[in-house]
Amino acid sequence: MKQTPDLEKKLRNVRRSLHREGLSTVQAVLHEFSVRLSGEVGSWDEKVRAGYAAAGKGFRGVLNDIRVPGVEEPAMSVPLLRDKALEGAAYDVVIVGGGVIGCGIARELSRRDLKIGVLEKEDDAALQASGRNDGMIHPGFAAAPGTLKAAYNSRGNRMYDDWARELDFEIKRTGSILLYRSLWMHLLTPYFKRRCRLNKVDGPCRGLSARQVRELEPYVTEKQKGGFLMPSTAYVSPYRVTLALAENAADNGCDFHFQTALLGVELSSEGSSITHLKTNRGTLSCRVLINAAGVWSDKVAEMAGDRFFSIHGRKGTDAILDKRCEPFQTRASGMPSLLKRNRHSKGGGVVPCVEGNILLGPTAQEVADREDYSTDAHIFGTLVKQLDLNRELHQGQIISYYSGVRAASWEEDFILGPSVKVANLLHAAAIQSPGFASAPAICRDMARWCEDILSEQNVPIRDREGFNPVRRGIPRVREMSEADRDALIRKDPAYGDIVCRCEEISRGEIRDALCSSVPAQSVDGIKRRVRAGAGRCHGGFCLPRIIAIMAREMDIPLTGVTKKGPGSQILMESTKKEAPLCS
Amino acid sequence: MQLNQEKQLQYDVTVVGGGPAGMAAAIAASDEGARVCLLEREEKIGGILKQCIHDGFGVLRFSEQLTGPEYAWRYAQELGRRPVDVLTRTFLTSIEKNGSSRDGYLLKIVNSQGLSRLETRTLVMAMGCRERTDRQVFIHGERPAGIFTAGQAQDLINLKGYLPGKRCVILGSGDIGLIMAQRLTLEGASVEGLYEIGSEPSGLNRNVSQCLEDYGIPLHLNSTVLEVQGRKRVEAVTVARMERGIPVQDTVRTVPCDSLILSVGLIPENEMLQSLAPQMDERTRGPRVNQYMETSCPGVFSCGNALHVNDLVDYVSQSGETAGRAAALYASNRSGGDRGGEAELTAAGNLSYVLPQKLRLPAEGAVPLFFRVNKSAPRGKLTVTHEGTVILEKTFRWLKAAEMERLDLDLSVFSGSNGGSVAVRMSEEGS
Repeated sequence: MKQTPDLEKKLRNVRRSLHREGLSTVQAVLHEFSVRLSGEVGSWDEKVRAGYAAAGKGFRGVLNDIRVPGVEEPAMSVPLLRDKALEGAAYDVVIVGGGVIGCGIARELSRRDLKIGVLEKEDDAALQASGRNDGMIHPGFAAAPGTLKAAYNSRGNRMYDDWARELDFEIKRTGSILLYRSLWMHLLTPYFKRRCRLNKVDGPCRGLSARQVRELEPYVTEKQKGGFLMPSTAYVSPYRVTLALAENAADNGCDFHFQTALLGVELSSEGSSITHLKTNRGTLSCRVLINAAGVWSDKVAEMAGDRFFSIHGRKGTDAILDKRCEPFQTRASGMPSLLKRNRHSKGGGVVPCVEGNILLGPTAQEVADREDYSTDAHIFGTLVKQLDLNRELHQGQIISYYSGVRAASWEEDFILGPSVKVANLLHAAAIQSPGFASAPAICRDMARWCEDILSEQNVPIRDREGFNPVRRGIPRVREMSEADRDALIRKDPAYGDIVCRCEEISRGEIRDALCSSVPAQSVDGIKRRVRAGAGRCHGGFCLPRIIAIMAREMDIPLTGVTKKGPGSQILMESTKKEAPLCS
Repeated sequence: MQLNQEKQLQYDVTVVGGGPAGMAAAIAASDEGARVCLLEREEKIGGILKQCIHDGFGVLRFSEQLTGPEYAWRYAQELGRRPVDVLTRTFLTSIEKNGSSRDGYLLKIVNSQGLSRLETRTLVMAMGCRERTDRQVFIHGERPAGIFTAGQAQDLINLKGYLPGKRCVILGSGDIGLIMAQRLTLEGASVEGLYEIGSEPSGLNRNVSQCLEDYGIPLHLNSTVLEVQGRKRVEAVTVARMERGIPVQDTVRTVPCDSLILSVGLIPENEMLQSLAPQMDERTRGPRVNQYMETSCPGVFSCGNALHVNDLVDYVSQSGETAGRAAALYASNRSGGDRGGEAELTAAGNLSYVLPQKLRLPAEGAVPLFFRVNKSAPRGKLTVTHEGTVILEKTFRWLKAAEMERLDLDLSVFSGSNGGSVAVRMSEEGS
C-alpha cells in the first residue's frame, strides 16, 4: 500500500511514546489503518497510559488489547430473557443503544416513513451513561478547537431550547462560572474568550471580578479570585430528556425492544455490508445499523466487522444534595487546578439540577469494568471536597450518590458517521462529556447520514404522514398553578392522592409513568420518570405503596415488582399461605 | 369529610399529622373548645403505630402493655367522640402567614377532591420523623434491590404480609432494628447478625434482650457495614470492626445475605415547618420550643417526634396534649403569651440536649424536662442553675445515651424572675 511508509513512521512515533512512558513490554502493530497495542503490563494505570501514548499519532483509531494480569475486564452483561419475539423481523434501521443518542436518532429518523427499531439490553432507556450524568448542557468551551467535541457541543447546546419546547422537559439556562483560583488567572480571560469564539460558544462570555462572582453567587467560596462566566450553560434532567425522546419516537412509530442485546452480526459474503442481527430474542434483518452502544460501542463495531477503536471506561461519581440547598447555587461553578494531572476531566464542581437539588462532582477514575456503578469511600472522600466551593453546603445535606461510566476512546473525541469499511453501518461512538450537550446536533447529522445510505440503497425517503414532533409529558402537579392543579384533580382524582411526600408526587403521575408510550417497568423506572422516591427519605415511606400501585396497574403479583429489572425482585415471598390481595 | 370549595375552611387549631402526637393534640385542643382540623396524608390515622404490632406501648399512659394499633385505636376512639374535622389522604402543600402574625396561617391542602385553602389561627406540627437511609450513613458499593430501612421492612411484613428478605443483615441497633430482627425471625427469615457502630446498643435494653438474646442473634458492637455487593439483588455485605472511624484491617469480612435492613437513626420531619423559618435546635433537629411546645413562630406549636425523637409513645402523646391545649388557649387569646418573658435553657456537661429549650415566665406548676446524655455513665449529677443560683439538683444512676431521661422542674423556683438563663448540667459524680 502507498501509505505504508507514512504509517510506518507513525508507528515508530507510537513506539517512541511508549518507550518514553517506560512501557517497553507493549507491542504496537498496524491493524488496517489503526494501531493495535498488545502485550502485558503490570497495572491498569499502565494500560491507560499506553492507550493515551498511542493516541493522536494520526491513526484511524487506537485498539488497546493490552492484558493486565489479575485485572478482569468483564464482558457486557446480557439480559436473562430468551425468546423469539424478533425472529424474522425486518427493519429499515436498527439502532443499538437506548441512550440519549440512540433515542435521539430514532426520534429524528421517525420524521421519515421508515421502519425503525431500537435495541436496548437494559429494561429501560437511559440506564447507563445517559441516566448517570449531571445533566449539564455544557457551553462548548472545554473541548479543544477543531475536535468533533468542539464542533458539536455549541451546536447541540443551541438546539436544546427547541427540544425542550417540543418534548416538554424542563431546562434551566442559568450559565456557569469557571472560578479562578488565583489572581494571575485573570490573564487567561482573553485566551478563554478566544477559545469561546473559536468553538462558537454562545455569549457574551466574560471575565468576572471576585466581587462580581459574589454578586451572582453570594454563597460561593471566599477563596475564589474571580471567574469566567459562560451564560449559555444549561441544565436538564438527563434521563427525562432521553425518555422524552424515546416516547416521542415511539409515538411516531419506532419500536423499542428492551432487554434485547445485539449478540452477533451477519455480514454479506464479501464482508462489506450487514445483513442480519442476532439477538437474545431472535435474528432480524436491517438495511442500516446504527451503533450508539455507549461503553460497548467498540464491541458492536467489532461484531459488525469494523474494529478500529477501543473504549475505556472512566467512572464518575456524583453526590446529590437535598433540595433545600437550591437557593445556594444557581450556576455550575468549578475551580479547576490547571496543574492537575488528569487531563481528561473538567475537574468537577457544584452543579445545580433542574429539579432543585445540587450535585457535587463528577470524579474521574479509569475502570476495567464498564458496568461498574459502585461507589467507594475513597473516591467519595475526594468528591466531598467540592463542598468547599460553597459556604452553605455541608456533608449532612447529601441525600444520595451514584456513579456512571464514560465511554471514552483513546483519542478522547467522538467517533461519528458512516463506517469506512461496512457500507450500511454508522457509528455514534465514544460519546462522553460533552456528549449530552452535543446530542441534538449529533442525532440530526446521524439521521442525515443514515438517510443518505438508505437513498443509495434506493429506499425512498418520504416524510412520515402525521409525524408529531410534540410530546406532552406527565403532569407535574407540584409545579402547577393552584387553579390548574385543582381543575386537573377534579377531572381525575388520582392527581390529588399524594404518594411520595418528599417530592409531592401523586398516584396519577405514577400511574401515567406505568402506561406511557415507553412505560416504566420497575421502581427505579418510576423514579426516573416522575421522581417518586427521589427525595430525601429515598422511598422510605412510599416504596410499599409504589409496589402496590405497580402490582395493580401492571397486573402482576407484588413479588413480581422489581427495583431495576429482572433479578432485582423487592419482595421475596408472602408470609401467608395464600397471597393477600394487594391494597 | 367532604370538602366543599364554596365553604371557606376556618379553624382555631390545625393539627398536621394524625399519629400519636397529632391525635393527642387534636383531642386536647377540642377539649378546650377550639374548632379543630386534623390533616393526615395517609388513608387512616394512627401514624407509624399502625405497623408496630409488637407490644409495650402505653405502660405510662394506660398502665398496660398495648400493641401499636391498640394504642392508636384508643386515641382514634377518643378523637371520634369529638367534633374534630379529620381530613385523611390530605396533603399539606404550603403554609403562609395570613396577614399579620395574630391573624394566623393560610394552608394549601390537596386531596382527591381538589386543592383547597384553609385558614387557621394556630398550627400544631406533628409530622413525626423519617428514617435515615443507607446513603445518609455513607454505605458504598453497589445499589441493588434488598436494602430497606427498618420501617419499610416493618410496613412490608406487618401491613403487606411479605418478606423483604430471607437472609438479612441488620445495621444499627435502634429500637425498630431490634424489633425487626425479632419479626423477621418469627416470619421465617434468618438474621445473620446485627451490626452497631457504637460501643453500646442504641435501642432500649428490653428490646436487646427480647429481640436478640432470646433468638440467639449475634450483636456486633463497634462494627459496621462498609459496602454492599450484588448488582441486581443484595448478595453480600462487607462488614468490619471500626476503630476511630477506620476499619480494622483483619476484621473486614464478607457476609452473604439477600438483604440489608437499616436502623441508623431518625430525623424529625420539619421541612414544612422550616418554610416559616422558626429557630431550630441543631441537636434535636426540631424547633426550639417553650414549655407549651410553642416555637419561635407565633401560634405554631410542635410535638411528638417532629420535636425530638422519643423512646416512648406515652411521652409523644403527652407533648401532643400540651401543644394542643396551648394552641387552643392561644387561639382564644387565653394564653397570656404577651406578658412576661422567657428564660433560655442550655444543656451542658454530659448532656446532648434538654427540652424545652425555653421557659415562658412567670408560670405556675411543674414542667417536665427531657434530656439525653452524650455518653452512658453509671452515675451523674444533674444541676439546674438559674443566673448562677442552683435551683435543682438530682443524682441519676445508669444513664444511657439511648434512653431519654425526665425530671420535673417546679416553676415556683423562678418566683419574681421573668427570664434569664438556665443551665442544665450533667456532671460525673465523684466516685
